[in-house]
Amino acid sequence: MRLFKTLAAVALGAVMTATGAMAATPANTLVIADAIDDIITLDPGEVSEVGGVLASQQIYQPLVSFDPADATKIYGVLAESWTVSEDGKTFTFKMNPAAKFASGNPVTAHDAEYSLRRVILINSRISFILTQFGLTAENVEENIKATDDSTLVIQVDQKYAPSFVLYVLSSFTGGIVDSVLVKQHEGLTAEGTNDYGNAWLKSENSAGSGPYVLTKWDPKVSILLSRNENYWGTAPGVERIFLQHMPESATQRLALEKGDIDIANKLGPDDIGAVSANPDVSIMEGNSSTIYYFGLNVRNEALSNPKVVEAMKYLVDYQGIADSIGRGTVKVHQTMIPDGFLGGNIDYNPYSLDVEKAKALIAEAGVALPIKLETVVWNVPPYTEYAQAVQATMALAGIELDLQVVDGGQWLDRYRSHDLDIWFGLWGPDYPDPHSNAKAFTVNDPVDPEGSKGNLADRFGWNSGPLSDQVLAAVQEQDVEARKAQYDAIQRAHTDSSPFVYMFQDSRKVAMRSNVKGVVLGITFSDDRYGAVTKE
Amino acid sequence: MHRPNAARPYRLNSPARPLRLITGLASWLLTVAITLLGLAALTFFIGRVLPIDPVLKIVGEKAPQEVYDRVFLELGLDKPVWVQFWDYITKLLRGDFGTSFATSRPVLTDLMNFFPATLELSTIGLLLGVLLGVPMGVASAYWHEKWPDHLIRIVGLIGYSVPVFWLGLVGLFLFYYKLGWVAGPGQLDVFYVGIVDRVTGSILIDSAIAGEWEIFFNAISHMILPALLLGYYSLAYISRMTRSVMLDQLSREYVLAARLKGASEFRVVTGHALRNAAIPLVTVIALSYGGLLEGSVLIETIFSWPGIGNYLYSSLFAADMNAVLGGTLLVGAVFVFLNMLSDVLYRTLDPRAR
Repeated sequence: MRLFKTLAAVALGAVMTATGAMAATPANTLVIADAIDDIITLDPGEVSEVGGVLASQQIYQPLVSFDPADATKIYGVLAESWTVSEDGKTFTFKMNPAAKFASGNPVTAHDAEYSLRRVILINSRISFILTQFGLTAENVEENIKATDDSTLVIQVDQKYAPSFVLYVLSSFTGGIVDSVLVKQHEGLTAEGTNDYGNAWLKSENSAGSGPYVLTKWDPKVSILLSRNENYWGTAPGVERIFLQHMPESATQRLALEKGDIDIANKLGPDDIGAVSANPDVSIMEGNSSTIYYFGLNVRNEALSNPKVVEAMKYLVDYQGIADSIGRGTVKVHQTMIPDGFLGGNIDYNPYSLDVEKAKALIAEAGVALPIKLETVVWNVPPYTEYAQAVQATMALAGIELDLQVVDGGQWLDRYRSHDLDIWFGLWGPDYPDPHSNAKAFTVNDPVDPEGSKGNLADRFGWNSGPLSDQVLAAVQEQDVEARKAQYDAIQRAHTDSSPFVYMFQDSRKVAMRSNVKGVVLGITFSDDRYGAVTKE
Repeated sequence: MHRPNAARPYRLNSPARPLRLITGLASWLLTVAITLLGLAALTFFIGRVLPIDPVLKIVGEKAPQEVYDRVFLELGLDKPVWVQFWDYITKLLRGDFGTSFATSRPVLTDLMNFFPATLELSTIGLLLGVLLGVPMGVASAYWHEKWPDHLIRIVGLIGYSVPVFWLGLVGLFLFYYKLGWVAGPGQLDVFYVGIVDRVTGSILIDSAIAGEWEIFFNAISHMILPALLLGYYSLAYISRMTRSVMLDQLSREYVLAARLKGASEFRVVTGHALRNAAIPLVTVIALSYGGLLEGSVLIETIFSWPGIGNYLYSSLFAADMNAVLGGTLLVGAVFVFLNMLSDVLYRTLDPRAR
């Protein structure tokens, strides 16, 4: 398939010239091409696929949000203000009296109470984002409570950095639904318990306060959103958003240049390069929080030697890969917290390709060559290309990667088993707080030493020592600047000592028609905001 | 291919005819049932052997263990695989294909939603393939090893060997992007979506029923390129098969006899040889129709066509096993139906089989 694509790109590029008059999308509709066949729900209480989050972010609003250009700027959306108790465990939100739902109902603290409780009560696959605060189905009535129409009180189980709690509430999981409307549509689950409107919200209806409402979702085909006529903020500039399933990058490119779509969300590096010459197309750059890395399983005897681990960090041609394969879609990034997040942007990239140094380190380690390591990578570009490039440079120092290219299911299966030597993968945080990454890559969980719940440090057999406690302390730090400084120190130590080889951070490039203005690209995956979009 | 009774010809006026019809029908139904059961079993067990974890696909890799366990139980994966299969088959017999977790709709609803789009596209593709492929194959056989034959075989060879993916993109680039003769990916332009009520699921028929001719022509404009491509691929196959069948017929003695009797060349080729060639060709065409239904996966991906190919493809990658099973059974049922159809036609055309 890759070959065909390359052939096609060459053939297309060879005869490509500027064209004359073009078709255009309707002025009142924003047409976005994306791969949306993975969406299984639009209920904000359980949505987590990229396309699903993208759609639901336009429909539902959280209590608080932050500025994608500067994540330290947290501001109220449905909440007007908030206070944190002395002990850091009680968060009290004052609701924004101006906010109302698409139905016309006012947004009250009772709606927020209902919305956050239901995420835990329906025990959805994303409930872990909230249950990490010690919230359970049993205590949620006590711990998430509206004391009156305008006051919401959330109790967490221990002292956390307020910014951590607020970032989590700002994520898609924190979307507030119209409880008056949803309660009318509660049904029963397969087990006979209350579904809190899940079936109703899942696919055909919406009950949000955001700039758009759901008009029609045709699974695997399209999603149509219409302007919320009751929107309490500035009315959006386009009446409709049409998300069309168009999985192929080359097809998206032609449709974009032709003017049949306004935004192409899934353009590969080849096509981004090609459309950048077109004056009718503009390319927006943003940070994506996805990190490409490979993890070394230190249960392997050779890899248990820190010198070997260090040597391997010198056996990756970071800049070379970013330039030749990534071509502007990634930037070299060797720390665990992405740029854009609190504690990110530390610009610590100590490693570059240095075969001699690596050889010396391996000699010091006294490990016999060649070192043979079993490696698995997903059979999807660019992962495969990244892994093959690393395989080639590793070989220069006598490290032979037995690179197995497998489908997504096998890839994740091998990641879960603990017997693999090297796993090539990526990590996207679930909420825009540094703890999402710091916890995963560092914290040793005494309850889960094999890391089956997702902590990567345990999964790769790494005892992070004092770093684990430092991460747990940082998430409790009440002062934002002090917290930031802690992550700075943790990351440097982590990059130097961990068995994780961070290579790149995605830098997003989204191509759109030049007449489209006002798109705000988010920093977590699919947090793009279309509320202020206009077409000139 | 199964041809019930093909070996046991009976006369039209045979007194036992009603009985034979009933036993014939019964044996046919039995064959269909066994074929579909076999297909269901094969798909089901392949689905269980594949290293895909359907639970993981539903809950995501970061979900906690208890959520994973709950979904595992909900899917009935704790039961022995034979019990799961038995449950599945008994449900099937009640017409229950299960629910697709990806769309949250019954699989049957999904299939009825996606299948007409594929059927529409491949029917037009087949029509183009037959209307062009058969005459080309005949001409090719008639001027055997002469320049028309070479030319037609080259055209066919390209259809055979050029990847549909590449041809699809080149087609889009040339006819949609550069020349603007046809509309682009998707079934309709955005501003037409959702206007016409869904009756048959075929956008052409539905828009015609509604009298929305603007939408009708817009749909044709979107369909023409993918249908032509599919048509080209079936043309390549049909013309090659026609050529070889016709070559065989043209070398038979009856052709020589007809010529000696002074029949015109046109009559020899179309009246005699093609008539006899039609019998095996019917099977070829019917099966190539099935091939088109299957083969539309790539075409549907390139052209963002909301058909069964796209549905099966994304269901497989999402480990949406109910959807995969349902889709496979549907495609299988279509094949069985096409076999039966070619069988009936075969017997109608070939007196010896009656």
